[in-house]
Amino acid sequence: MSLERRIQIGFAIAVVIILGVGAAALRSTAATVESARWVAHTLEARAELEAAFAELIYAETAVRGYVITGDTTYLAPYDSAQARLGGLLAGLRALTSDNPAQLTRLDSLATLVSVRLERFHWTVETRRTGGPAAAARAVIGGRGKELMQLVRGLVAQIEDEEARLLAQRSAVLQTKARLARLAAWSGALVAVTLAVIAGALVSRELAGRLRAERTLGETQTRFRQVLASSTAVIYANTISGASFSPSWVSENVTRITGYGPEEPLRPTWWLDNLHPDDRARVLAEMSALLAKDQLTTEYRFRSKDGTYHWVHDESRLLRDAAGTPIEVVGSWVDITDHRQAEASLRASEERLRLLLGSVRDYAIYMLDPTGHVVSWNPGAEQIKGYRAEEIIGEHFSRFYLPEDVAAGRPEAALRAAAAEGRYEEENWRIRKDGSRIWADVVINAVRDDRGTLLGFAKVTRDLTERQRAEEALRASEDRFRILAVTANDAIISADSHGNITYFNPGAERIFGYRAAEVNGKPLTVLMPERFRDAHRAGIARYLATGEARVVGKTVELAGQKNNGAEFPLELSLASWQRGSEIAFTAIIRDVTERKRVDETLRRHTAQVEAANAELDAFAYSVSHDLRAPLRGIDGFSQALLEDYADRLDDAGKDYLTRVRSASQRMATLIDDLLNLSRVTRSEMHVGPLDLSALATGIAEDLQKRDPARRVEVAIAPGLHVSADPGLMRVVLQNLLENAWKFTGKRTAARIEVGSVPHDGRPAYFVKDNGAGFDMTYVGKLFGAFQRLHGAQEFDGTGIGLATVQRVIHRHGGRVWAEGAVGDGATFYFTL
Amino acid sequence: MDDKVILLVEDNADDEALTLRALKKNNIKNDVVVARDGVEALDYLLGSGPTAGRPSHDVPQLVLLDLKLPRVDGLEVLRRLRADPRTHLLPVVILTSSKEERDLVNSYSLGANSYVRKPVDFGEFTEAIRQLGLYWLILNEAPPAKRT
Repeated sequence: MSLERRIQIGFAIAVVIILGVGAAALRSTAATVESARWVAHTLEARAELEAAFAELIYAETAVRGYVITGDTTYLAPYDSAQARLGGLLAGLRALTSDNPAQLTRLDSLATLVSVRLERFHWTVETRRTGGPAAAARAVIGGRGKELMQLVRGLVAQIEDEEARLLAQRSAVLQTKARLARLAAWSGALVAVTLAVIAGALVSRELAGRLRAERTLGETQTRFRQVLASSTAVIYANTISGASFSPSWVSENVTRITGYGPEEPLRPTWWLDNLHPDDRARVLAEMSALLAKDQLTTEYRFRSKDGTYHWVHDESRLLRDAAGTPIEVVGSWVDITDHRQAEASLRASEERLRLLLGSVRDYAIYMLDPTGHVVSWNPGAEQIKGYRAEEIIGEHFSRFYLPEDVAAGRPEAALRAAAAEGRYEEENWRIRKDGSRIWADVVINAVRDDRGTLLGFAKVTRDLTERQRAEEALRASEDRFRILAVTANDAIISADSHGNITYFNPGAERIFGYRAAEVNGKPLTVLMPERFRDAHRAGIARYLATGEARVVGKTVELAGQKNNGAEFPLELSLASWQRGSEIAFTAIIRDVTERKRVDETLRRHTAQVEAANAELDAFAYSVSHDLRAPLRGIDGFSQALLEDYADRLDDAGKDYLTRVRSASQRMATLIDDLLNLSRVTRSEMHVGPLDLSALATGIAEDLQKRDPARRVEVAIAPGLHVSADPGLMRVVLQNLLENAWKFTGKRTAARIEVGSVPHDGRPAYFVKDNGAGFDMTYVGKLFGAFQRLHGAQEFDGTGIGLATVQRVIHRHGGRVWAEGAVGDGATFYFTL
Repeated sequence: MDDKVILLVEDNADDEALTLRALKKNNIKNDVVVARDGVEALDYLLGSGPTAGRPSHDVPQLVLLDLKLPRVDGLEVLRRLRADPRTHLLPVVILTSSKEERDLVNSYSLGANSYVRKPVDFGEFTEAIRQLGLYWLILNEAPPAKRT
């Protein structure tokens, strides 16, 4: 129950109690007053009674005085008593009207009083009329004294009654007064008690509130300090409808943005300073805030100094009980540095990734602390054979040979790396395809700032090739040593000063020196005097400028044997870097014999070339000059036949005809000779060639030239060869013309072109069913000017087959023939 | 036919006589001017040498040019004709004994219009001349005359 409620209840209880107490006090006071009134009433009644008795006494006295003196003045009190006694007795009657017994007594009293007054009246009248003596006797005989005694007794009775009533009423009054006092005291006590309790309660509550307020104040101060020193600006916006208006912002806004504390409360402050490029996006996101009740976004915000800062803004929408948005509260953090750091971290990571990605010769990858692969570069893929997606998450022990895994080497390596920071070894590793590589492995433990082990960086290099190369190098060295020792040539090495460092057995044989004799001596001892200066200058020049006149080439020089004899030599000189020094190795061959042979060969070649040139000029000349006279012979013979026919007899005409035919045969002979010469001299242009098509074309030409002939020509399709088209045309032209010619006397002539396998290669053939030849003379078939048939039988120059043979030989092929007299001939050739 | 001239460049008197006979037999009636070597031919066509200056006559309709000639050979004559604006369009037919490949290639390279080998058989020779005349003097449209 709340404090207020408790106080309310307590207060109500107190009011009820006080009202009760008050009522009780009121009642007892009223009762007391009543009782007191009764007491006063009683006292009044007594006073009236005593006054009435006193009046009676005054009246008696007055009467006596008058009696004695006769003076009427003494009668004044008696008159007043007479007047007053009636009222007094009526008052008494009213005062005691509630008490019948008293009323009875008062009636008696009134009777007595009236009797007495009547006696006084008689007395007085007696004196006036009787004189003093009658009066004295009246007085004495009047029996006044007894009356007075009766009155006095009755008054005493009434007084006693009143006294009793008074005593009784005083007792009641006292009781009532005590009750009222008690009620007042107890009510006051209750009220005080309640007041004390309430006071205690309130003061306790007040103390609690005070403490709470103090605590709250402290908390608020601390909160403000926290906010002020925080990097996050806290803000609140009230929402009315769709518009936001800033209502509060934490003080640190000034420190963070440079704006005074009032500026952010300007309605357009935020929008004005939002970066124009971010404005549309962020405003669009605001609708998400209304939809999802919260929004996290980042944008650029202009500080007071005009610079833009990246801001991380997290806001939350608050709604009232009805769900209407009422307020947006949020926080704002300047993340410019964070973003820059992030960007530079990203850039740095990207650079590292690119770097690792570009490394092909090294496998670079990371293991987690338990040895599972967590990253993989292309070099790793190349060296290990696994793709990244295959291997990430696997344990690196799969790179080890099974026996190494069994011996616990992978774990030992990680332990060593973890303990020492670095572990390195060269050993066999196994690739995905099961092949082995000789690998240089470095494992580095990777720890964070506090020394916690994060994992291991592994760099592996494939040294298989290098190891193989080393072995190959050793083998190669062995080979070359053997080569150098067994070589016929002199192999001599020299240092950069030109001093001999190696002299092989071949050199010993050629120069006549023992290796021990010349080692350390200058190379110049091996050359004739006249070359030595040039040699020394050459070495100096080469070392100084790198200009090589002999190094890297093969040159012919002269050498000098130990006996001083000079001989021609061929020198191949190579230089090579040996550490920082340049060294030379020369291979020297004694070319005395070869020089002699070369000289002879050169002479012969020159002769052949001269002969060829002559032949060429001869052929050219023949082509032009040898034919011109023939044309003259033929032409003028014809002219004679035409212009002088009438003067020539038949014999003359026959002779002229023979002259013409002889000259024409001569022309054909010249052409064939030139052809033969040409197939020898012309350049070869080998290319793909369809022999079938070529043969078909030639056969068609032959048929056109000799349309009367009926020859069955069968050419196999698809004879594709690689040869010189011009020269092969000469070959087929000759063979087909021969076949055409030698089947001239056949009625059913047949020519076939095709190929047959011969020694694993195709042999092409041209076959006819013509005159054939005697195999005895097959050896003469391909010789120039050799004919197996008479000109009368078959014309020809005997040069065609010689030409064919030359062409086939120039193609590196072979040509041969088969035939029988009267049974046709077949000419084969390979290419 | 008409008065257009054929220039025959031929050093062999026999060939000259036979060529003229063959032209005659084919009823080719153009005037034939004979030059007996390259120098004469160039003199006639370009007016160089002893008769330097402009030739007094028109460019011939056709030149029949032998290759093997004294002093300046046929290929050189052809080269100079083609280099001269007056004659570089002149129809030139090589008429020679040889059919060496290099002669063929060189002639065409230098701009010969035709290459005809003189056959030994006079009947064939006459036929060749007939066809030459038919083609170059009748069928072929000559290039427009060059006036300089």
